[in-house]
Amino acid sequence: MLYAQILINGLVLGGLYACIAVGFSLVWGVLNVINILHGTFVVLGSYIAYFCYVHLGIHPFLSIIVSGGILFVLGFLVQAGLINRVMGAPVLTTLVLTFGLELLLNNGILLAFSADYRTVQLANPLGSTIIGGLVFPLERVVATALALGLTVLLYVMLAKSRIGRAIVAVRMDAEAAALMGVNVKRIYAVTFGVGALMAGAAGSLLAIVFPISPLNSTEFLGIAFVVCVLGGLGSVAGAMVGGLALGVIESFGALFIGPEHGLTIAFTLLILLLIFRPTGIMGRRGYE
Amino acid sequence: MKKQNTTTRPLWGGAAGRLTALALLAGAAGLTQSAAAQETMKVGAPLPLTGALSPEGLKQQRGYDLWAKTVNEAGGITVGNKTYNVEIVYVDYESQTPRAVQSAERLITEDGVSFLFSPFGSGAAKAASSVSERYQIPTVAPTASSPSVYDQGYQYLFGTFTPNSTLTTPLADIVANSGEEIKTVAIYARNDLFPLAIAQEMEASAKAQGLEVISFDEYAIGTMDHGSAFTLMRQSQPDWVFATGYINDLILIRKQMADLGITPKVLTMIAGPAYKEFIEASGPLAENVSSAAWWHPAVSYEGEDIFGATTDYVAAFEAEYGSTPDYAEASASAAGAILQVAIEKAGTIEPQAVRDALAGLDIVTFYGPVRFSETGQINSLEPPVFQIQDGTAKVVFPEDVKQADMRYGDIN
Repeated sequence: MLYAQILINGLVLGGLYACIAVGFSLVWGVLNVINILHGTFVVLGSYIAYFCYVHLGIHPFLSIIVSGGILFVLGFLVQAGLINRVMGAPVLTTLVLTFGLELLLNNGILLAFSADYRTVQLANPLGSTIIGGLVFPLERVVATALALGLTVLLYVMLAKSRIGRAIVAVRMDAEAAALMGVNVKRIYAVTFGVGALMAGAAGSLLAIVFPISPLNSTEFLGIAFVVCVLGGLGSVAGAMVGGLALGVIESFGALFIGPEHGLTIAFTLLILLLIFRPTGIMGRRGYE
Repeated sequence: MKKQNTTTRPLWGGAAGRLTALALLAGAAGLTQSAAAQETMKVGAPLPLTGALSPEGLKQQRGYDLWAKTVNEAGGITVGNKTYNVEIVYVDYESQTPRAVQSAERLITEDGVSFLFSPFGSGAAKAASSVSERYQIPTVAPTASSPSVYDQGYQYLFGTFTPNSTLTTPLADIVANSGEEIKTVAIYARNDLFPLAIAQEMEASAKAQGLEVISFDEYAIGTMDHGSAFTLMRQSQPDWVFATGYINDLILIRKQMADLGITPKVLTMIAGPAYKEFIEASGPLAENVSSAAWWHPAVSYEGEDIFGATTDYVAAFEAEYGSTPDYAEASASAAGAILQVAIEKAGTIEPQAVRDALAGLDIVTFYGPVRFSETGQINSLEPPVFQIQDGTAKVVFPEDVKQADMRYGDIN
């Protein structure tokens, strides 16, 4: 029973981790850009959810549309207007660019909203339900379900839609895609936009789970990194498996060697994986 | 990258105000050459204005700024035939302790400050204290409680927080003698200097009262999930849960406790509930959470310092910032007010004389009675225990400022 509860905790947490990481993984995989802005995009999504709820009464589960939409536009503009100018430059250049943009955006949020921690307090909290002695915190469960749902939607979009196939084509071989008539720079911008959209949506969902503050961005970015490496870079399925794996490993790690070392086990596995299977659990496939 | 050790002046409003004030002063000085010379006394304040500790750093800054503004509006500090305006020189050490030490040294050697306020927390205050001791600069630490900061044999360091045990001893006493069936305690601590120290102190205080400490778990800094710890705690059903950490940890911990259905008779958290942000962020979940802190706006003293009565201080703070001061903000203001009294008593800003005046102080301030022990740590305060009841913090101890009885149960 104890193990079942810990497994539930881990899966519920892991779904959220997957949602945080999937956009980051997509951008890294397709654009070869390590988007340091990603954590701050998640935080911005959380703030949008907070203000939507406090001022407009829109539930965070619904405001994923608003935050996703705003972040898509922001991401598209950032890529089209700035990062596209240095695409093809060494990865360090784009890294420094997104790092600089992150400093600007994060400090902007800090100035605008202060470092105070806020939370979305639902007027009608869902509470928890107990089934067979196992506790299901419903807000987390629904947030995780939505997070996984969005991730599956992204998978389907990449696999079935015209723009999705173009993204995958650019990821496989940008030059060949360009020869086939794909506007590569536009696809870059769309991909970055989709990555930001996923970050914004994740932020909305996290708003009812975690306290909201600009200071959280580094933690979210760290999670995105770990999940990508665990699951395998650039694939939606990899992010999903990596996220769930991280959540479950962290939970059982905390159980067996104490809450202080939950992440220690996760990071030890990460190092082992880097040594023995550097392509991640799902390998370097990802051409959905 | 940001420039290291960026000197941070107060924000635009303050800077503009100061410029105007300086311009006026310059003009006035030009017109009345014979008037008493208005000089500037610099006090250095290394603070974590950015990075993980920035919420704490900003609190301290608000406390100092209010003191400086109050002093300057009252015409400055007069000693002998000189009048000093106060200027606080801030350096942002970006929440990195090694930089706090460098900042303290820079403030003394380059900015020429006469006095220093310690950086945030026991760890950084201890690290920086060696610098102020070396240069013999009287230093007031507003947020360092660990006795290990003060027992280094230093002469120039004074602190406005009593040792951690003065918070946990009355808590354990109240709970153990409540008449309720409270026998077991689970302690859950952030593995960080102050949160861990106060948790260890609580373990000792609880054991001294005959309570059984059934678990003592630590969680790492930056932990984003406490599910496993609370799943185990749910099985052990402690009567009293004592959790330590900073405000973000405690908001998350409170929510996850509720999610996983942990309902102890008493839930005590240090150091979040003293901040209104905790109550706002936790909403109904904040109800009946108890805590202790070095100061609370509900305490009442008739101070001899510049702020006067506690109620006057609270009113001045609210007028300036639109919010009620918490213990960190009050302690920062008190650090300034105490330094001012010592300077006035010394009749000079000469470091040795001010240091001696600080060591010999025995006064009442808006913050409480102020007397320093041999080591320099305040030993005259009786920190209040309080509980959040009906959305506001109510003092339940000490008796003379008590506002309500401690409630038991109803932690959902």
